[in-house]
Amino acid sequence: MADSLLISVSATRVSAAPWRGGGFGEYTVFDNDENGLAAFKEYLSRAPRLPVHMVVDAVEEDYRFESLPHSYGRDRREMVNRKLKQHYRNTPYASAHMQGRDSGKRRDDRYLFCALINPDLINSWLQLITEREMPVAGVYLLPTVSAVLLDKLKITQPNLLLVSIHESGMRLTFFRDQKLRISRLARTEGGGHDALKNYAAEISNTRLYLHALRVMTLDEPLSVLIIDRDDSLAELTQLIARDSPNIECRHLGRQEIISTLRIRAQALDSSITAFYLYLLGLRAPANNLAPAGVTLGFRQHQARRAIYALTGVAATAAAIWCTLSLYQLYDIGSDVESAKRSTAELQAKYKAATLQFPSAPTNAENLRRAVEVSQRIGATTRSPELMMDIVSEALENHPAIVIRSFGWRYDRNEIGADTAGAKAAPGAAAAAAADSGRRKQSGSIEGEVRPFRGDYRAAIEAIQSFVGTLSKRPEVAEVKVIKLPLDIDQKLSLSGNTVESREQTGKAEFRLVVVLKPTV
Amino acid sequence: MNAYDLRALRNPLIALAIVLAVGAQAIYYLNQLVTSSREELAKQVVQMRDARTRLQKSGEEKQVIVRYLGDYQALQRIGFVGDEQRLNWLEGLRLSNQQAQLFGINYQISAQQPYPYAAELDPGQLTLYQSEMKLGFSLLHEGDLMRFLNALAQQGAGFFSVRECKLDRLGGGTVRFQPNLHAECSLNWITLRAPAVGDGKS
Repeated sequence: MADSLLISVSATRVSAAPWRGGGFGEYTVFDNDENGLAAFKEYLSRAPRLPVHMVVDAVEEDYRFESLPHSYGRDRREMVNRKLKQHYRNTPYASAHMQGRDSGKRRDDRYLFCALINPDLINSWLQLITEREMPVAGVYLLPTVSAVLLDKLKITQPNLLLVSIHESGMRLTFFRDQKLRISRLARTEGGGHDALKNYAAEISNTRLYLHALRVMTLDEPLSVLIIDRDDSLAELTQLIARDSPNIECRHLGRQEIISTLRIRAQALDSSITAFYLYLLGLRAPANNLAPAGVTLGFRQHQARRAIYALTGVAATAAAIWCTLSLYQLYDIGSDVESAKRSTAELQAKYKAATLQFPSAPTNAENLRRAVEVSQRIGATTRSPELMMDIVSEALENHPAIVIRSFGWRYDRNEIGADTAGAKAAPGAAAAAAADSGRRKQSGSIEGEVRPFRGDYRAAIEAIQSFVGTLSKRPEVAEVKVIKLPLDIDQKLSLSGNTVESREQTGKAEFRLVVVLKPTV
Repeated sequence: MNAYDLRALRNPLIALAIVLAVGAQAIYYLNQLVTSSREELAKQVVQMRDARTRLQKSGEEKQVIVRYLGDYQALQRIGFVGDEQRLNWLEGLRLSNQQAQLFGINYQISAQQPYPYAAELDPGQLTLYQSEMKLGFSLLHEGDLMRFLNALAQQGAGFFSVRECKLDRLGGGTVRFQPNLHAECSLNWITLRAPAVGDGKS
């Protein structure tokens, strides 16, 4: 159990002890009266605001074992709440704890209902705790905290009667299959050997009582575990063995308690209540009698702790992440510095090496590229010479063709590209499109056919022949006829006269564009 | 959870919110730093490799300088490398006109601009420019055009590329030693600039 304040309330006394780090703190006892309340108030004012677990050791307790139809969730809660209200109308301190299921066909759920019948016994004490703003984690009946003892002692007997002697009487708690069934606080009188006899008789009576309640039959073996914190009940074991041979009796003496539970001897010697508080500190039972209104503060306390825990986890995760990032930064920073140093060293060595170089206006790469670029420019420049040669050679075979104007261009756009109506020589258009991104030579030839006496057919044939001669040159990609002496396009109108004369009549003008291959 | 619970949990919730906000901001900030540091490291590593490669090739570089320096200096002398030598061009025009026995040349030089065909020449860090020169002159016959262009190329006034020429027959016709043709040509004078040693690009 986490750090908390353990409080035991009985009819006569109230005990308190802080539980820290898995062990008992100072054990303090108060009388259950006005003075005790005042002292307890003073005690609380000095105590840290720890969650409070309270056990009640009183005769005003009730245990009922019942089977209810098997159900789940909300139905189960509603049914159990109805039963609690039905059984314990006058107290808010009641609880139901499911202890498994019946073995019959219906497989009903088995519940242990328990309650503190007299809430006034603890109300004043709880009020002081609430005023101090200490969260109440739970209120339990004292026998319910005994279950942890069975686990510690590894007790497997099906019917076990746990016996301990308290200031207010003898506490007898019966466990069936290690589960609490019933407990009673019997008042015993007398001292010394008479008391032991009375204890033995009470145990025998309890066995009959269990038989009467049909909790167990008389034929069934019963084990008795006597909690003897001051070794005063050793003879009781012998008495039981002698008087009731069918009862298996085990004596849990002071040393065994200390060695098994590791409780401090000083605390154990102070009171049997300290023993039960210690068991409560080891593990709080499930049978919490406190209603939701009483444990509200504890739920908030738990929520606060959970949020703080989450905050801690988030802060830790962020811190770890940031630490890793900082380490990465440091690591990368070291690598950067190392790379910078290496670069500087290499540059220094390079600089030293360049001192041996001939003095140059730019670096070696630029020198090389500049020379290569100049060579490439030389290789890519063109002059009109080739185009002029091609036209001149063609003219030698066509004396009727007279050139009036000659143009040449070396560019991506051929000369006269803007002129509409150009008629390319067949098969040349595809090649021209493929090479449109490269520079190429193109020439423009404007001229006329001489002599011309009105015979357009002969003139056009002469021009076409000239075009054919040009096209035959391997350097020529295409020859476009831009203009002919007569436009015979059927989409246009045409007019003139057919007078024939020996003299020059009109002009047979034409215009061509010669495009050379881009590789030329 | 009701308002009362929220009031009771206010402080831890505020603490949680602060831790989450501060933690998220710190993580984001540090992640940014780590990312930029990684980029810086990558850059430094590249620089280091470049420096190593350059050092390893320094011997080769020396050979290149020895091999190309003379040609480069020749290109500087003719005005191909460096600023435009327009005076040289005009001097070249004048001499070419004399050598080709032309009748005088009209010229017009436009402002310098980037050379549009530079990408075809793979210039690297070098920058190429051109200035268009338009020429107008008269010729006795067609052959004078090529004589003039060849003469201009021989002047060593720089690198030029002829873009366009147009020859038109003049009227009038057959008088001896009178121009028969008129030529209009467009040349591009090409120059190159290289970053000097120590410009950081080299």
